[in-house]
Amino acid sequence: MIRQILPEQFNTSACVPKKDDGMSGAGKSETLRLGFMETMEVDGRGHIGGLLITNQNGRPLEFQCTTPVKPNRTQEILFGETLRSWLLGELIGSTLLDRVAIKPNIIITSDPNLLELRNHTSIPVACAADAKSKLAEQGCTLRIGGSILRFHEGHQLDAESLNKQKHLIPDAADLAEPLERVREALAETVKTVFAR
Amino acid sequence: MSEFDFDDDAKFADDVEFTGEPEVSASGYLDTGLEHVASGDSRPPLAESIAEAKRSTRIDVAQTGFNPALSRMPSIETQTVSLNTVLDFVPSWTARRIPMKCIGLTLPEGIEFLPPKADSTKSSDGVELKRIGPAKKVEEESDGVEKPRKVTRIKPPADALSLQDRLFYLLQPPLESWLAEQELIMPFEPFGYQYEGIAWLFSSHSALLADEMGLGKTMQTITAIRLLLRSGQARRIVLICPKPLIPNWQREFKTWAEELPVVTVEGNGQRRRMLWTMPGIPILIANYESMTRDIADIPEDEQPKFDLLVLDEAQRVKNRESRTAEAARSIKRRRSWALTGTPIENRPEELGALFEFLEVVPKGSCPDLRQLQKLAKKYILRRTKDVVMSDMPPRIDRDAELELTDAQEYAYRTAEKEGIIQLNELGDTITVQHVFELVLRLKQITNYDPFTGESAKLERLLADMEEIGASGGKAILFSQWTKTIDWLAPKLKEFNPLIYHGGVPTKQREPILAKFKEDPNAHILLMSYGTGAVGLNLQFAGYVFLFDRWWNPAIEDQAINRAHRIGVKNPVIVTRFISKNTIEERIDRVLSEKRALFAAILGDGDNNNVSLGLNATEIFGLFDLKARHKGGSKSIGPKPVEPQTDAA
Repeated sequence: MIRQILPEQFNTSACVPKKDDGMSGAGKSETLRLGFMETMEVDGRGHIGGLLITNQNGRPLEFQCTTPVKPNRTQEILFGETLRSWLLGELIGSTLLDRVAIKPNIIITSDPNLLELRNHTSIPVACAADAKSKLAEQGCTLRIGGSILRFHEGHQLDAESLNKQKHLIPDAADLAEPLERVREALAETVKTVFAR
Repeated sequence: MSEFDFDDDAKFADDVEFTGEPEVSASGYLDTGLEHVASGDSRPPLAESIAEAKRSTRIDVAQTGFNPALSRMPSIETQTVSLNTVLDFVPSWTARRIPMKCIGLTLPEGIEFLPPKADSTKSSDGVELKRIGPAKKVEEESDGVEKPRKVTRIKPPADALSLQDRLFYLLQPPLESWLAEQELIMPFEPFGYQYEGIAWLFSSHSALLADEMGLGKTMQTITAIRLLLRSGQARRIVLICPKPLIPNWQREFKTWAEELPVVTVEGNGQRRRMLWTMPGIPILIANYESMTRDIADIPEDEQPKFDLLVLDEAQRVKNRESRTAEAARSIKRRRSWALTGTPIENRPEELGALFEFLEVVPKGSCPDLRQLQKLAKKYILRRTKDVVMSDMPPRIDRDAELELTDAQEYAYRTAEKEGIIQLNELGDTITVQHVFELVLRLKQITNYDPFTGESAKLERLLADMEEIGASGGKAILFSQWTKTIDWLAPKLKEFNPLIYHGGVPTKQREPILAKFKEDPNAHILLMSYGTGAVGLNLQFAGYVFLFDRWWNPAIEDQAINRAHRIGVKNPVIVTRFISKNTIEERIDRVLSEKRALFAAILGDGDNNNVSLGLNATEIFGLFDLKARHKGGSKSIGPKPVEPQTDAA
């Protein structure tokens, strides 16, 4: 509703992978770039987000993180329950995706709020959950290694497209592990830069 | 009421003119009676309204004598009050994108994936992306099956100050999965402590890996080098080691990282110089002598610059004044690693020299014990078997304190008495070498009496060997002297002894070791410390005899570790022969006292492997002598005088 009333200002075109380096992976058909996105709250300063791009084996290729962003009181009131998904998924997520030079083929996160990002990009966004968790039972899912990927309910075809490239990811890959790296990197960034 | 209507009424009211007396209520308030005038749609004519106003405007006034003034009509004026008619929507709000800054890092392996004309490495509001190292080809890797296991994360080094540098290490995957993905062909799965060592080396610019012998320093170093090369952190690496160990390193590189090209500096001077200065050689191996000689011959402007310099057996640079140490320090490099199982051989100052090589202390500085402890904590990684190999069969040490036989006792006392007399007769001309010769003579007598051939140690050895031979076991015996080994061999004939010492031609050595391993009847291998202490894997031997004691327990430990090392399946029983009431006992006591002091530097867990030698004062002290100088007799301070032996 809010977006219907208020002007939509985000330009999502930057998030769309280019033809020669994006989803199709043309020319490098056997490579897959995975994006791992996490956010964390910095005491009194808002939220920061980080996006780590790796190859299919988890080797880091690029990392971006934002400065803290904090919604004001008006935004808190007007966005209501959608504030978190707007802030994390739409605002921080889009910024990070726009910023990375190496566009991922899929974005994996542990925060369901970040699934909102899928409405602003053509790149599939999935929420990784432990195969045994209840979260895994919701919606359209895809099992990779020890993780279950849950996709945005409005973009269920993402699971099918990723399923075609699933063989590139090692069976034993732990998709939750790189998210831990992102959280550590965010904590280090907060400690090093923003805590000054 | 509409705005228009209201204004019209106001005009109407403005035109009202009162001619009659106003009626003032008792309360003093003016009652104009205009309510009905302003209301209703049909308005009465003006004259009637005025007349009506006169009638209704009546004032009740107390009689105060001012009636004439009160009879005048009051002057009433009306005023138009403007109302705020424009409604403003305050505050106005539109959804704006909250400005954010980004901090970015492109890793070497990612550079290949950057869009051809990507300009996103720099932006007005973003921090410039930092490129670490050169672009590197990303490996195409197959789907390796990885089992869930403990993960070893690479921690950023304490001296990495920039955020980008720290993030580089933090963002690396766990070492286990990283190595699994590289399709590494490994003889066996590294142990957990080895993963930790690899991760520590990988992130260290200055590192002294001082693991106890047999824990795999070589493997850890090679794997860390491999990761540095793969991650683009290093392109040119030089490894310096003692000449006899070069084949060992070549073999280990082939085992652990066979795809890495390794070039050894050898040949004539021109070729060696070409190899030193030729860029593009990922790994160069050179011996200490070559390094000392060749580096000095290369002009300053042609001096090679390496991303990593590794010194194996780094105790070679313990004397910071030596040409070897100076040459090692002069090599230009970004990272410095030192490998040694014996970071302290004699004095704490040796550790200071190693820290100087690592460039973590100023040149010529002499850190005190407390500073050394602090530096050791930061730059030294030392693990002992006791700590990391809890599942490794134990090493059981037992000191066999033996009484000399009568003939040995007589020979020993006589030699000692005569020797001390001779030393005293030398007066001021006495040197440590004189004392040292006496010590050697006495130690030889404790092995066996040269005249009668009696030997308490041999008796004990034969008794033990009977049991070992009967059970099909194998033993290694170490002695300081080839002469002793040759003397022992015929006496151990029933156990099919094999001899391995400096007198055996090099080509014959390998078959001897092979025979000892494969021949079930060969129960004992007689080795000299000098030849057999380093680089051999004899973990199938369950017994080690130290027939006589070496000057330095570190050498003894190296010898013992030929048998007690990774791969050993059963406990290793180590028997040290010590002749009671002899020089051997005194030496052992002095060394034990020194252990306690130096253990403090390397930690409590290092109680068995701190290597210590005797200095001149201590050697003189073995006979209650004092060193003589021209000016008279005085104690010798802890000068770096290392006794040299005539060992094979």
